[in-house]
Amino acid sequence: MSVKYIPVQWNRNKWVYDAALLVGVVAFLSVFLFVAPGALSHERPINPQIHNARAFGACAFLMLTLILCIGPLARLDRRFLPLLYNRRHFGVMTCVVALSHAFYILNWYFAFSSSDKYSALLFANTSFGQLAGFPFEIFGIFALLCLMILATTSHDFWLKFLSAPVWKSLHYLIYPAYVAVVAHVALGILQDQQHPTLPVIVMTGASAVVALHLAAAVKEHLAGDPAAAGGDWVHVCATADMSDGYAKIAQLPGGDRVAVYLNDGRLSAISNACAHQNGPLGEGKVLDCLVTCPWHGFQYDVTNGRAPAPFTERVPTYNLRVENGTVMVNRIANPPGTYVEPVPIHQSETLT
Amino acid sequence: MTAADTILAFAQLWGVVGAAIALAFLTIGIDRIDEDAREAYVFRPLLIPAILLIWPLVLWRWWVLETGRDQWARRHRPPRAAHLKVAVVMAVLVPAILITALAQRQDWPADIAPLRLGQPAEVSE
Repeated sequence: MSVKYIPVQWNRNKWVYDAALLVGVVAFLSVFLFVAPGALSHERPINPQIHNARAFGACAFLMLTLILCIGPLARLDRRFLPLLYNRRHFGVMTCVVALSHAFYILNWYFAFSSSDKYSALLFANTSFGQLAGFPFEIFGIFALLCLMILATTSHDFWLKFLSAPVWKSLHYLIYPAYVAVVAHVALGILQDQQHPTLPVIVMTGASAVVALHLAAAVKEHLAGDPAAAGGDWVHVCATADMSDGYAKIAQLPGGDRVAVYLNDGRLSAISNACAHQNGPLGEGKVLDCLVTCPWHGFQYDVTNGRAPAPFTERVPTYNLRVENGTVMVNRIANPPGTYVEPVPIHQSETLT
Repeated sequence: MTAADTILAFAQLWGVVGAAIALAFLTIGIDRIDEDAREAYVFRPLLIPAILLIWPLVLWRWWVLETGRDQWARRHRPPRAAHLKVAVVMAVLVPAILITALAQRQDWPADIAPLRLGQPAEVSE
């Protein structure tokens, strides 16, 4: 999947995903602009420029809310995983919509003075010391910068170049961006609009994001209790709990996660983190000795952690042993791509 | 020079430095540190906006990869442990922002009885 970089990796599923996204955006903007302007209840008449700015702003808020719901939903229920599949394109489109909102605002509210419009944006309101009339634009600028960083670093090259943990850490900017967007909306349009619909929509969306993140985090926290057995060997599960073709995931002391697979009666262990975006390999099924990452379809041989040729991704492998009907894994990872002889599950005690 | 002008001048300087680094990285550096990028040129312009934005990070990673300081084990340690902290921080900040903003929202002028600011036209005439 990374043999040579190309501008955009599209396949049939991604085309469908992107088409659905585009239809959704166009439908939302059409409803906002043409179908239901009366229902928006603008107490004061607004011109088309402001109407457009509000339409794109509302669309960006909704898209960002949906994007942030996808991650915890997928962690809570695997049926939402297809939504995660092409979330990067969702993010790029959200950035484009948010930029459109920003340009409509700039070219209306700040375009008709003798000052440069970008300067005007920064100095038109500097009442940072008071809540009423706070320059909420600053939150929008911050969120837009974050979205631009996330969108422009969405290519697979950045994942490999920065490494997945650095890339993931960078993309944690989505959270401060969302908080800033909530502040931008709350101190901006919510101060002006008295109709209850908008506050209800904003509060419902923001509450859903918060509640889903709390639920997913608590679920992971409760399930991720490492069971160290002393020394370098960590208890994974009883051999009777293993199902052929599937994995058990164990968290090692230090936080790394290992996926232990049963494949044709023999055990193999690789890192649970896919080399692509650190997707949960342990949730994939093994076919012909290859496990498929449930997030984006990257495959690895479970005996050596290598993607099948011509692909070049590798993940670390781990040594295993079976002891008194218990699967044990060594906490020290082997370098990515290291072959480890699979361990037969039906044996009293084997060291590898 | 106003504060706004200073910020914009800084942003322009940031962009100019980023452009220079993008030129060097995309013509020389990328081939040296990533075998998958060799002989792949069409995707490179897509990287320019990100380099303009995060060029200090690009310089750091370029140096790490050029000098062989990259540690393979770290590539497989995603920062998932932060999920709970993020959820808790958002659960505090988001409601606090919404409640504070809605609490200080002012009444709409339409709810206030109108005041006559001048004499009726026929009287003034």
